Amino acid sequence: MVRRFGLIAAAAAALLLAVVSAASARPSAQAAATASCSKGVSIGMQAPITGPAGSIGSDQLHWAEFYFTQWNKTHKLKIHLVQEDTQLDPSKASTTAQALASNGSVMGVIGPAGSDEVQAVAPIFKKAGLAFASGSATRVSLTGGAWKGYFFRDVPNDGVQGPTDANYMMSALGVKSGSKVMVVDDQESYSTGLADIVQQTLASKGVTVDRESVSQKSTDFSSLIAKVDASTKVVFLPFQVASEAQLFAQQLQAQGKTAVAFGSDGTFDSSKFTVNGSYISFFAPDVTTIPADAAVVKAFHKQFPGATSPFGAPNYVLAQMYATAITKACKDNKISRAEVRKDVLKVSLKSTILGGPMKLTANGDVAGAKFHIFKIENGKYVTIA
Amino acid sequence: MNWNLFLTELVAGVSHGAVYALIALGYSMVYGILKLLNFAHGDVYMVGSFIGFGIITVFGGATNLSIPVWALLIVMLLCAMLGGGLLGVMIERFAYRRLRNAPRIAPLITALGVSFFLENAAQLVLGAQYQSYDSFGWKSPIALRHFTLPASTVISYAEVIIIAGTIVLVVALTLFVQRTQLGKAMRATSFDREAAAMMGIDVDNVIVATFFIGSALAGAAGVFNGIEYQQVWPYMGFTAGLYAFIAAVVGGIGNLPGAVLGGLTIGLAQAFSIGYISSTFSDAVVFAILIAVMIVRPSGLLGKAAVSKV
Amino acid sequence: MSTDPTDPSAPRVGVDEWVASHEQRRAYRAGVAGMVERRLERVPSPAFYLAFGIAAAVVPALTSNGYVIDVGLNTLLYMLLALGLNITVGYAGLLDLGYVAFYGFAAYGYAMLASPKFGLHWDTLAVIPLAVLATVILGFLVALPSRRLVGDYLAIVTLFFGELFATVYQNGEHMSFFGHFGAHDVTGGPNGIPNIDQFNVFGARIGALNYTAYYYVALIFFMVLLFAMYLVDRSRTGRAWKSLREDPLAAELMGMPVNRLKLIAFASGAGIAGLAGTIFAAANTAVFASEFDFTSGLLIIVYAMLILGGAGSLGGVILGALVVNVSLEVLRTPGHATWIFYVLIAATLVAKLRPWHALAIVLAGTAAFGFIVHAIVSSAWPRGVHGQAPVGGILGSGLSHWVILPSSPMTIGNVAFIFLVLAVLALTLLKGWWQKLAMIPTLYLAAFVWENRLAVEPSITRLILVGVILIVLMNARPQGLLGTSRVEIV
Repeated sequence: MVRRFGLIAAAAAALLLAVVSAASARPSAQAAATASCSKGVSIGMQAPITGPAGSIGSDQLHWAEFYFTQWNKTHKLKIHLVQEDTQLDPSKASTTAQALASNGSVMGVIGPAGSDEVQAVAPIFKKAGLAFASGSATRVSLTGGAWKGYFFRDVPNDGVQGPTDANYMMSALGVKSGSKVMVVDDQESYSTGLADIVQQTLASKGVTVDRESVSQKSTDFSSLIAKVDASTKVVFLPFQVASEAQLFAQQLQAQGKTAVAFGSDGTFDSSKFTVNGSYISFFAPDVTTIPADAAVVKAFHKQFPGATSPFGAPNYVLAQMYATAITKACKDNKISRAEVRKDVLKVSLKSTILGGPMKLTANGDVAGAKFHIFKIENGKYVTIA
Repeated sequence: MNWNLFLTELVAGVSHGAVYALIALGYSMVYGILKLLNFAHGDVYMVGSFIGFGIITVFGGATNLSIPVWALLIVMLLCAMLGGGLLGVMIERFAYRRLRNAPRIAPLITALGVSFFLENAAQLVLGAQYQSYDSFGWKSPIALRHFTLPASTVISYAEVIIIAGTIVLVVALTLFVQRTQLGKAMRATSFDREAAAMMGIDVDNVIVATFFIGSALAGAAGVFNGIEYQQVWPYMGFTAGLYAFIAAVVGGIGNLPGAVLGGLTIGLAQAFSIGYISSTFSDAVVFAILIAVMIVRPSGLLGKAAVSKV
Repeated sequence: MSTDPTDPSAPRVGVDEWVASHEQRRAYRAGVAGMVERRLERVPSPAFYLAFGIAAAVVPALTSNGYVIDVGLNTLLYMLLALGLNITVGYAGLLDLGYVAFYGFAAYGYAMLASPKFGLHWDTLAVIPLAVLATVILGFLVALPSRRLVGDYLAIVTLFFGELFATVYQNGEHMSFFGHFGAHDVTGGPNGIPNIDQFNVFGARIGALNYTAYYYVALIFFMVLLFAMYLVDRSRTGRAWKSLREDPLAAELMGMPVNRLKLIAFASGAGIAGLAGTIFAAANTAVFASEFDFTSGLLIIVYAMLILGGAGSLGGVILGALVVNVSLEVLRTPGHATWIFYVLIAATLVAKLRPWHALAIVLAGTAAFGFIVHAIVSSAWPRGVHGQAPVGGILGSGLSHWVILPSSPMTIGNVAFIFLVLAVLALTLLKGWWQKLAMIPTLYLAAFVWENRLAVEPSITRLILVGVILIVLMNARPQGLLGTSRVEIV
């Protein structure tokens, strides 16, 4: 006991010393690490790399990593990716945002993934003068407000998708005043936000909306599908996991229901959501099916074998955007966080892997945002609107 | 009364409950013998599910199976049970054995450590993406074909397989525990470990066997879940483990028929609260019911009231 | 079961801590080290607490780095949580798995009373006591029906309660009373409650993002409560709690008010969690239900801190929170994690390998083994050494001549990882020279897996290491770092 006590007291003292020294040493080490165009620049990455949302976050990380690996092979200007895991938790996002903010070599941040996380980190990044750009936070209110000039995103927001989907249901799928639509959210903020907009748009036109929600934790949809009656025309599924939409649509057919499944951009994955006759909305064609992207996708799978999700590719484009902005800042010999923030708005990519040009508006949203509607026919995604 | 809705919820609840019951059995068996809440048990289920997925891949993938479906199912079940069982034995040998006489909470924390390790190691090795069994795409699509019950309710082949498979496994387990030498040793050890040791029962062996059987059942549950609910991903064990744990407790932890009853109770409670009360608050409803059950019958539905000996 | 008394799994029947450590106490270490040890032993524990308080108070003065302060603040919040849990679990022995719900309840309470959500902006001096009081009452209410539940059943009911809380708050944006009285947005649902007011005392306001201020607030609350707990520890109630933990039946027979003791322990633990929750809500400026459910891991982390430090020990609360949270943060940076990995391996070898020549043989053998493997691979399969070490610097360039670094390491790294786990497990079964010989390839394999796979995925590796640390530490010291081992006396 006595020996143990001494040992532990010593360990405690050593640990405390380590903490204090780390506390004092770490900032000086990081302050020394400044960005330089000759030695290299860092871009931070915040994503839910582990935890229940790991499937989204690890894919986001991999696509950004993939871009910079390719970039560093062919360019003298080296860009390092500093990854921070948020587990989709706003308070972890703000702690890791502090780490990125105090790292002098970080010139911009990709992420965070969730809209709540964006709200949590925004004051920190604004204070640090850092640009941050998300490839998946779609809440309407994030851009154009207090964080204009700091927050950007290369995906259209819910204000575009919700009405597009609701109007398409009215115009082409036989939904009219008096008919019924079931809207199922998965209790996460992306999903409830989008579900709310669709519900409001439909309800304002006299459609009866049966609003349901399933926890992401459970995979039992058959109980819910039993509630879909004959007058229900469409089941709208703003999920974040494509295979859940697949399961829902399949069980819908298996139970002999006539309603069609309508997925949001979160379910857009031509390898996982393949039930014929279903509809999906997405802001770009599927990267894995665009012929021009075949080489990129193949190289990606060489570096990261396995599946990919629709949440990944927009981060590749963000990496591309930062690389372009940093190149410009270096050419002007003015590499700094403020300069990168300004240059990001000047980036204009003629063609991205998302299948079109990419340019940001002054608010930080992607210019010319439009959602396309796809129908699944023989397992293939066909653009119909 | 809408019989279609009622029967559909019944089928969904029973097939979901069957999966919970299989996982809950392992929880209950381990608890009965070691008084250990094995929080890593859900992750054994996850590993079993991934083993099943691996077997599908080995035999050519979902849409291009090179062997008949029934053979595939048997191979999947056997491999998942064997793999799960071995994993359980390893966890016991390397993580829990030294802690048998430690304060009760130390193995609990160790179990959480094992769970952390397994989930994240799975993500490292297998990736975080959701993988799909895609049993809808099998040559004979078991999840899509169905029998028709009264009131035009349907029950899919997959649900039939799950329910029948669970019954077979539970009957086998009951026979094993009631009739065999080792099963009797298990019951004795569960009743009083020290007395069993004094009677010449090799307690170490009994514990290893318990972990093997319990974990094998979890592995089978993983495959069953895969053929009906398709997805496998590294964190699937956490939630399933939580519900199975609840099921074990509701039935009376340490009590095997209780674990099955508990599993069915949870499955049915979830299904019916989605169907009749509110999908949003179905979990809340389930938890509220359970709190009420626990307060009225603290030892669970079939558990014996704990009598403290002086 | 083995009856060999040296077997750790054998029950040490009839042996208590004092007798068990008899030999140790006789073997007082001579010299300076021994003297220091005995001196330290005699220092009263409040002196250590005070030393901690002073050291912690100095940290913000040494750095202006927002990240360090924020981690410090989080660590202090964890300490507060662990301190509260220490009452319920450490003293009274009541396994409360819904503990985090109290933290969340008070955080939401603060958020509702001081944010634009309902347009209320109350003074902090009113909100904190109110939120804490409400949490104490909630703790009391949860404990009330639970008081007749023993052991694990209490754990389960509280777990349900915690999940119930998280589910209701996660979906509280359309609250209605069984479909009546409309749908009210009470908790903001998955969007939580944002824009929470900063602490605001008589008009004096803590500025936004001023983590330093919250750091001091948390530190002061923690130090005050720590000393209060020190007094409680030695009070009549404290002793009664501990006897309740050791044997509830005996305690009841001795005429102790067992039910009342349980209620007080539960409610006061909840109160401390509530206090931490209000600080969390204000410092974080937003609350979300998902942060308080079981899957968020918060409960697990607080338990790990408490048990690692040693349940029932106040010093253990500090030490456990420091060890767990600081290592969680330090492991985020791949550079730090790599150093820690190698230093930990080296330290373990130095501490565990005796005699010294065995250590020398293992180390030299590993080095030689590595160079041989590297030489063979580079001639037979040149692509096998073309990869880059993930961490630069001296360590990285030195290692790249020793460890094989294939150009596409993912698949082979994954396979090697599984083999490494099996090899390490097998190593614990071997004895004597076989073990030492087997160590050589295992160590090399560990370096290979680290460089090719683990260092590339720092976020996942971090959690794998946390899992391993929990397993290893619990196996090595089940009673926690500062806990006292309890021995079954028949």
